[in-house]
Amino acid sequence: MSVKIEVIEGGMPHTNIMIGGLVVSVICIYLTYLNVLTGTQLFAFFGGLGAIAAIVWGSHTIKHLCSYGIGTGVPSAGMMAFGSGLIAMLFATRYGVAAPIVAIILAAVIGAILGYVANNILSMHIPVMIQSLVEMAVIGALTLMGFAAMMTGSFELSSMTVGQVTILGLSLPSYQASLLGGALLATVFMLGGIAIQHPFNACLGPNWTQDRMLMLAAECGFLSMIPAAVMSMALVSMPAALISLIVSLVGWYYTYANYIVLSKRDAAEWLDAKPIPELEGH
Amino acid sequence: MESIVFGIGITALAGALATVAGAAEDTESNIGSQGDPNSQVQLAPQMGYIHRIFNKAVAGEPPAYGLWIALGAGIAWAFMAMQINPILAIVLGCGLATFIQGVYATTAYLGRTASLAKFGQPVYVDILKSVTTVTMAHAFVAIFTTVTMCHLINAALGHPFPLPLLGLIWGIALGAAGSATGNPFYGKERQYQSQKFGAGVPIAASGNIVRYAEAGERNSLDNGWYTAKLGGPASGVCFGLIVFLELWRTVLFEPVAAGWGAIVVGIIMILVFAVIDRYIEVWARKTYGPYTTPEKEASS
Amino acid sequence: MSAIGAKPAGGAGLDTTSALVGIIILIVILGAMYMLGSSVALMALIGVIIGGILIGFGVHFVPVGGAPAAMGQAPGIATGVAMLAAGAGLAGLFGGAWAAEQGLAVAVITGGIGGGLMMAITCFMVNFIYVFGMGIPAASGKVLKDPITGDSQPEFKSQGTEGHGLPFISYVGGVIGGIFGGAGGTLIYIMLLDVYKESLPEMFGAQAAQVLPIAITLAGLFAIGIFLVNAVLAAYNITGTIEGPHDPKFKRFPRDIIASAVASAVCGIVAILLVAM
Repeated sequence: MSVKIEVIEGGMPHTNIMIGGLVVSVICIYLTYLNVLTGTQLFAFFGGLGAIAAIVWGSHTIKHLCSYGIGTGVPSAGMMAFGSGLIAMLFATRYGVAAPIVAIILAAVIGAILGYVANNILSMHIPVMIQSLVEMAVIGALTLMGFAAMMTGSFELSSMTVGQVTILGLSLPSYQASLLGGALLATVFMLGGIAIQHPFNACLGPNWTQDRMLMLAAECGFLSMIPAAVMSMALVSMPAALISLIVSLVGWYYTYANYIVLSKRDAAEWLDAKPIPELEGH
Repeated sequence: MESIVFGIGITALAGALATVAGAAEDTESNIGSQGDPNSQVQLAPQMGYIHRIFNKAVAGEPPAYGLWIALGAGIAWAFMAMQINPILAIVLGCGLATFIQGVYATTAYLGRTASLAKFGQPVYVDILKSVTTVTMAHAFVAIFTTVTMCHLINAALGHPFPLPLLGLIWGIALGAAGSATGNPFYGKERQYQSQKFGAGVPIAASGNIVRYAEAGERNSLDNGWYTAKLGGPASGVCFGLIVFLELWRTVLFEPVAAGWGAIVVGIIMILVFAVIDRYIEVWARKTYGPYTTPEKEASS
Repeated sequence: MSAIGAKPAGGAGLDTTSALVGIIILIVILGAMYMLGSSVALMALIGVIIGGILIGFGVHFVPVGGAPAAMGQAPGIATGVAMLAAGAGLAGLFGGAWAAEQGLAVAVITGGIGGGLMMAITCFMVNFIYVFGMGIPAASGKVLKDPITGDSQPEFKSQGTEGHGLPFISYVGGVIGGIFGGAGGTLIYIMLLDVYKESLPEMFGAQAAQVLPIAITLAGLFAIGIFLVNAVLAAYNITGTIEGPHDPKFKRFPRDIIASAVASAVCGIVAILLVAM
């Protein structure tokens, strides 16, 4: 890091953000289960909201971890989170209704082992390493599960592997035209991986403020939800995809506008087409 | 025979697309100061050098391009699954991916600059308005060519990976090739244009980037104009060679000796590049000669 | 990420206790796989672990200088080590996956050569830019003589820098790193693909050809995921930058081999149990 950031400076404590993110994310992902109960796909957008909650939590975890200086770039932490979270999330989808819970437990176990490996075997000796990697794996799993639920209408393996293909007016089930068969999960993987590391990577510096970074995290989440909603048009019914798209566009506009206001508040000056100010001594 | 000729044609087309993609990628990242030279744009205000350079720290180039290309490919796949014509689907997907890229660019600039308030670095809204669109245009070229190349590899050459997965792989490779080749040229040669030519930037000079142009103040479009002359094309050649040679050896030589033909050709090509590299290294040592280095420098 | 950034205090030694715990975790996972799955699954897991070790070991060869390299202040390639290795390894995986039906040995070697070719071209272009774009000869900051060519290095180092460009030893290191990365990624992919091809038709009650896209995607995604985990762990081990096999940091690789083995085993067993249970 160019700038040494103090460990935590004011704002909401990390524990509150963690508990809030976890609870909201799990509740929102479970709300997509209304699809099964009501027999529609209209509640799919809750999956995206759950993923956003996880991303907001994740951005703060990355800040927590990277303020210790891990020796390599901030984005690597996001890649690590999603690499481990992906495996836990796909395994968990086999367990039907229990999938989100299984994903959290399994991701925590994988994250704990990876944290132990990094901290002790690789002798990194960073106090928050194990806890952070546990959180990162859980966040990765929840983000992927949230977006997957939003794009397919359900968080079960069967709905992620079977899609519909319309040939000559006949609708046939197809394994190829599905979230997994088409590897759309690869796109979701990168969407989440960038969204989770971007807020801290973009806001690091001596004048880092928590509310601005968290607002940016929410903005990144809604921004990632827009293409996810567009891609879901191929997998869920059109009304459900349109609801997701509208929710994401409205949420994105709101958070983007607020982020600009917060940036204006924190910036030294807000100039339009002005030269470099003359500082004394230069 | 016909299939081989067809394969060679697709290979050449994919290589050409990759060359354009590499050049556009490097120019885009240099206009936005993405990648490693970004650290100097970030460092300059802390050393008292306020500047008007775009500071687009979305992520390193490889993960960022991994996202843009995977996104373009994913949306294109979704539209193709909805029975939309592939060309239209790819254009729509790349357009949306470019929109995402533009939004990330603005939030990165605002975030980094606002966090530098302590050093008096102002946010220049006109940079945001005039430069973001230029990076988006270059990003669109890079994304469109790479996604098209992935579609050709998948649909015409029959690679088993679906389009989004290919997009992820080649996006990361594009970012890696473009940043490896293009970064030194932008970082050393352009940002530190006032330093001695033919030598690395002394660590003591870090942060003292060139901030003024021939007339007025340097902006990021000047940087793109400069690096488009060598860094961009070189990145394009790098990525184009990677894609072309990888496809060429597979298409042409994989049927030879049950796959071993492609391996042997690959090894020969690696050796050829090693010989050329060694030749360049020795040539540089002879031509540029040793720097007169004082012995005590080792202590610094 | 910066020229003045403070390096974290990662020691060079191997912590024996932690290494033993790591090996015990590894044995427990292998035992669990043997109890839960078939011998095919156990072999696949061993393949995944070997692939992970290859990736982690390969990253140590890749010469990466990070941000200072972009300013000609440090030798190596100017980008992040994890993602450069991923770029090479995934380019190798691309070639290896294409050759998957030609048998394990051919596919893995093809993948390795693909990664090596990517790195050979990239390293060549880096030197091209340094020499013809910036007029700077290559010089290592860590050794006095290039171990392969015997060229002396310090007098080609410009003042106030730690060296620049890619000396031949770094070039060879980059190619070796690409070969290991590509071979490791392809090995993981093929091992997982075999498991999925065998189990998925039964699991979904469908024909093999119908579920092939699922098997390919699952294997490809998991190969990328395990690749990234191993590459990032190796990047943590070398704290971001390394010059190549002659760098003193290279001697840290034994602990990364244990770390990669444990990490790949954990990820691998879950990926295999997805279908085997």
